[in-house]
Amino acid sequence: MKKQVYVNIFLETGLRVDPRITLIAGESGLSKEIKISEMNRPGLALAGFYDFFAYDRIQIFGLGEAAYMKQLPPEQKRNVYEKFFSYDILCCIFTHSERPDELFCKMADENGVSVFVTERKTTNFVGLLTHLLYNLFAPAISVHATLVEVFGIGIMLMGKSGVGKSECALELLERGHKLVADDVVEIKKVDEVLLVGNRTDILKHYMEIRGLGIINVQDIFGIRSVRNKKRIELVASLEEWDDTKEYERLGLDENTYPILDIKLPLITVPVRPGRNIPVIIEAAALNQHLKKLGINSAQQLDERLKNLMEKKNG
Amino acid sequence: MVKREVKVTGDAGVHARPAMMLVREAMKYECSVKLVKDDVEADCKSIMSVLGLAIIPGTLLEILADGADEEKVVNNIVSMIESNFSMN
Repeated sequence: MKKQVYVNIFLETGLRVDPRITLIAGESGLSKEIKISEMNRPGLALAGFYDFFAYDRIQIFGLGEAAYMKQLPPEQKRNVYEKFFSYDILCCIFTHSERPDELFCKMADENGVSVFVTERKTTNFVGLLTHLLYNLFAPAISVHATLVEVFGIGIMLMGKSGVGKSECALELLERGHKLVADDVVEIKKVDEVLLVGNRTDILKHYMEIRGLGIINVQDIFGIRSVRNKKRIELVASLEEWDDTKEYERLGLDENTYPILDIKLPLITVPVRPGRNIPVIIEAAALNQHLKKLGINSAQQLDERLKNLMEKKNG
Repeated sequence: MVKREVKVTGDAGVHARPAMMLVREAMKYECSVKLVKDDVEADCKSIMSVLGLAIIPGTLLEILADGADEEKVVNNIVSMIESNFSMN
């Protein structure tokens, strides 16, 4: 699922890249597509060195570039700008509220290149933009699952339709935990080791409960019961109890579930009438906290036993 | 696996009631049934998943089924959509 991103992303309020950014020229350039999630400082190009000029990236004009442009004599300025705009520039962003001169804006208009100005400092803005672009271009998939936050741990409940994912989430909400997404989780790989699950815009915090229909979780349980996104740290696979299958009894071996090449810890929870699944999920979340601190209950018990045996033998 | 494309006609798209009809039909069968819109996949057995696709009129929808009775369920769903959920 590849998302197309256009230059007008800087003006979309919903994304809030930077509320302090304004468009000052080149409105017709807003429809250009951003294909590369990287930036370029055009200082060298302005000074006349155009080898390796990455014109198809977002051009960031900092204090240095702005000062260089200001000191150029008028006749030379035209040449510099003409050469610069002879490339198919993606867009230009000036930081530190440094507005470019009228000639630059006029030529940007003529060439259909959007020019923005932000109040932010260069480093600050670049950091912000890097994060946003990485997020936008991050590999993503949509998964049939329910994502909840239990004691601060993002747990993805998976399993066939009708196994009780939503009912489990409902009970967890009742116990004060949070719902991120029901039934459809959009997962983004925002880092080599980090998966973040999002709700979809349309489904928001609605969920379907068999027998009740569609309910609005935020209206029923209040604002503290919902989250828009959450890092996924554990996958709990709910499945109908199968007498022939061996379920985990020790917890010494860690099973994993791969999503976008990242292996997440997996627990398989067999469901049977009368089994309190939400309590198991809560315990799994707390156990996950312990594991993060390097404490493994199964190993602890095993070591106690081994110590005891050594004493008896010795 | 069976795969067929169908264009959603009518003027309302797949809102709550049509979505429920699609889910009810898919639930009758053991096989997996998926709807695909612009590379986004939805489980046709989950009402939230189908609603989340936001299938507006004019959408080109791909229906995928895999397993027992796959042919039958795809045909049924295609004819439901083609008949505009018998709302005409």
